[in-house]
Amino acid sequence: MAPELTSRAELVKLARALGTTTDDVTFAASLPTRDLRRLRRRVVGALYDEHRTAFRRVAAITRTLPVALNVRIALRAFSPLLAARVAGEMSPDRAAELANRMPVEYLAEACVHLDPRRAGPLVRAIDPGRVLAVVTELIDRGDFVTLGRMMDAATDRMLADLATTISDDALLRIGCYAESDARLTRAVAALPAERLRAIAHTALNGPPDLRAAGLSLLARLDDEHLRERLAGYAVEELSRETMT
Amino acid sequence: MRSDVRDRLRSWLGDDLGVVDGLSERELANLYEALTAARHRQATAIAAASEEALRQMPAPVRVGVGKILGF
Repeated sequence: MAPELTSRAELVKLARALGTTTDDVTFAASLPTRDLRRLRRRVVGALYDEHRTAFRRVAAITRTLPVALNVRIALRAFSPLLAARVAGEMSPDRAAELANRMPVEYLAEACVHLDPRRAGPLVRAIDPGRVLAVVTELIDRGDFVTLGRMMDAATDRMLADLATTISDDALLRIGCYAESDARLTRAVAALPAERLRAIAHTALNGPPDLRAAGLSLLARLDDEHLRERLAGYAVEELSRETMT
Repeated sequence: MRSDVRDRLRSWLGDDLGVVDGLSERELANLYEALTAARHRQATAIAAASEEALRQMPAPVRVGVGKILGF
């Protein structure tokens, strides 16, 4: 069951990368999860690399202008798509300086278009409070695929702050699309026992997709002890349900 | 399976991506179609966004920036 859930999440991510629906990527459904992930990463790479030269030139121009002017030009003339592609070609510190002065809604939309291979250093350089605001905005939009991608980019501190701030429901759904099992495990490991119990409760009492997200989370944890603990909380929750 | 489709996919996704060899001919054709459509959609979206960006710029800098963008 768990590999099927992970493959399903990969198909959603492949569809997102190709700008289409999951029905249109069933050609890849026969692939093992690992191959599906490799294919998706190559697709992402091919698409992002295609127009890099032009964006690199624009990024070079931004180096000659003051930050405030860059922000004004970007907000006036650049859609979040363009801004994200240019940001991917800028130095992370410079791009973060701009991001720290842009509206959260604009940044959230830009995040969707940010090259995932370059997102890490940029996200880590942005003011953590701003990152949290963008995460909240993306949760409000229900964009858990982008959030799953961002999870890899966040610092440990950001992950811990985010994991304690966001709802169980959001955490479960983001976990489905997390790129790395190790990062996901780290985020979950930072949570106190009461929160893990609450997550088990939310997963088991939620709609089918949330139950599936809970199962997927359990399967993806790469720390056996943590997996056993979470599974134990789920069993406790099930026993409580049976008793009532 | 037309070998040019397989070759084109290899050139886009990398020679060493064994996944391409693991897909059936029909699946490969669908992947090719999806990737071609995605490239087209992306080029259209970037061109539209770039045109809009240029429209927002003062006329004297528009031509120069347009050349830099290459659209």
